[in-house]
Amino acid sequence: MLKYILKRLALCILILLGVSVMIYFLIRCMPVSFIDDKIAQMNQGGATIPQETIDSMKALYGLEDNSFWGILSGYGKWLLSMLRFDFGTSFKYATPVVDVIKDHMGVSFAVALIATFFEFMIAIPLGITAATHQYSVRDYVVTVLVMIGISLPSFFFGQMLKDLLAMKLGWFPPSGLVDATTDLSGVALIFDYFRHMFIPILTVVILSIGGRMRMTRTNMLEVLNSDYIRTARAKGLSENTVIYKHAFRNTLIPLVTSLAGLLPSLFSGAIITEQVFDLPGIGNKAFAAMISADIPFIMGYNMFLALLSVLGVLLADLMYAWVDPRVKLQ
Amino acid sequence: MENENMNLQEAEELEGGVATAEQEYADEATAEVEEAVDEVEDDEDNEEEGSHEKNLRLMSPTQMVLRRFFRSKLSIIGLVMIISLFAFCWLGPVFYTQWGPTEQDMTGKVEYSRTPITYTDENGVEHTFYQIVETEKTINALAPMDLSHPLGTDKNGYDVLARIMDGGKVSLTISFLSVFIITILGVIFGGISGYFGGIVDTIIMRICDILMCLPGFPILLIVGTIIEAIGIDLQYRIYYLMGFLTIISWSGTARLVRGQILSLREQEYMVAAEAMGYSTGRKIFKHLIPNVMPQLIVSMTLSLGSMILYEASLSYLGLGAPEKYAAWGTMINSANDLNILQNFFNVWGPPGICIILAVLGFNFVGDGLRDALDPKSRR
Repeated sequence: MLKYILKRLALCILILLGVSVMIYFLIRCMPVSFIDDKIAQMNQGGATIPQETIDSMKALYGLEDNSFWGILSGYGKWLLSMLRFDFGTSFKYATPVVDVIKDHMGVSFAVALIATFFEFMIAIPLGITAATHQYSVRDYVVTVLVMIGISLPSFFFGQMLKDLLAMKLGWFPPSGLVDATTDLSGVALIFDYFRHMFIPILTVVILSIGGRMRMTRTNMLEVLNSDYIRTARAKGLSENTVIYKHAFRNTLIPLVTSLAGLLPSLFSGAIITEQVFDLPGIGNKAFAAMISADIPFIMGYNMFLALLSVLGVLLADLMYAWVDPRVKLQ
Repeated sequence: MENENMNLQEAEELEGGVATAEQEYADEATAEVEEAVDEVEDDEDNEEEGSHEKNLRLMSPTQMVLRRFFRSKLSIIGLVMIISLFAFCWLGPVFYTQWGPTEQDMTGKVEYSRTPITYTDENGVEHTFYQIVETEKTINALAPMDLSHPLGTDKNGYDVLARIMDGGKVSLTISFLSVFIITILGVIFGGISGYFGGIVDTIIMRICDILMCLPGFPILLIVGTIIEAIGIDLQYRIYYLMGFLTIISWSGTARLVRGQILSLREQEYMVAAEAMGYSTGRKIFKHLIPNVMPQLIVSMTLSLGSMILYEASLSYLGLGAPEKYAAWGTMINSANDLNILQNFFNVWGPPGICIILAVLGFNFVGDGLRDALDPKSRR
């Protein structure tokens, strides 16, 4: 087991190296003058980036030297500083990249966590009823509804909910995270946060239920067709015991495993949803940084995401072996 | 008569084999079934009426799949949705010629606004004047829905209906193109990896691992910025972006193909192919790939929908063509203006509905195909 984990960790490092090479070389495709222009724009826009920061950043990324060896040595330097957990200073926000990520991750994490919770709570029962009543009216209705959910573009559905719930009915604030006109603190402030996060969470939940429900349904059907379920029924167990005690447990295996795969999406922030509702989450900040060529932030954020997804895959495999004793890792 | 019965049985057995065992048929077997069917049908024509074979209908695997596909109502609905969208986008402009997609409505009109001004003179009597401001709008922006503009105009005076048709062309073309390229890349790399195994397999699979861990959307944002920096005409930016997307997203297809080929290459008919001395290329592309086709077709159909969503999201974030050129995502983007969001659903609603129809249609068809092609599901 330990040997397996060590082997997988070594593979993870290899993958991360590959990802970093790809992202780094992509960024080096940007002309230097373009970056200068963007920095000048940012300085005009209110941010103050000292020339030394820019110079040191350019030295770090080896931006002046665009020959092959220049790029390679630039990558080496970047890798070394990365090993010391030095992600550099964001051009756009004029603060260390790590701080920007830390400061804005909370909102994104809260939205993603709550949304994931409701997604599982709603999708699993739906999937089970659809599977136990296969090809019935209920199955069709549930399937069609969740298929519509999968097909909704997040930005369009978000706008629609915003128009309906926030503008027309006025139940929830349309955008932002805090009400600027009032001064709240304590419980009232947290309540205000949740009022602002309600529509974004609703959007994310409705969009993601579909995939999870289909997954539950497929697994449940597979389990229900297996021999031990027939045996359980032959023993004369009640239908409820068969489904919830015997079948459901095996249906849970892939669902629990898929939890680990959600690791990146918990922290990465939803770029588009945050854009629609103007939430100050990490996705929103990353979008702004990425379209304005903020190289330190781009590298930092993307490596952070890659790290999370590599760990997510590894965790999913480990959990699979942990949940299902039949699975042997090698 | 006996001979015919044998043929029938043979054909049925083959059919059963096709339908129950997992892709055990090679395309030779399929051809054989079809031959057998033809033979029987020919014989049947010569028979007098009344024989019980008349009630038997023989079907090739393709016919069976089609029949199972069309038995599901959802698949038919999906197919109708897709076909009507195609007709709308390509035939629509033929009939709807009043406005082009990049043609601004310049029939400006004069608008009057009236503001009351109250004025008290020295005698203490109040006088109310009305200040009438005459503004001449040069473009007919945000026009209501009427005969000349069935869906109104947007804030730049472009006709919404014409733009939906034009944007649909771009979206549908791009999604088909990118799915096509992804499939080709995936089949080539997955085929090589699964067939040869060993070091080649390891290298290709590690590349797949890396590609799977690349954060897709952020990478596309960076590439969008780079394209802007290099100075490529922004009108074609979305094509370059989706092209890049295909390069980083073939890994899923490659894995699917590889997995199938790994199990297929151990089967007897491949030993036979080996014994016949066929070339490697023939073995891969004529004997292995056709057996992966069912899964490939399903995954292709389902990814058509996700490609449309990808394209629309990129356009929504402003990484598509400039506003002058129509795209569904860009049109929805105009709802970021609160005035348009609240009062002009006709500007941002219809393109969204089109996206939903397209994605839903592809998902329904994909789902129906999956059920129809799945040999285990016998309905």
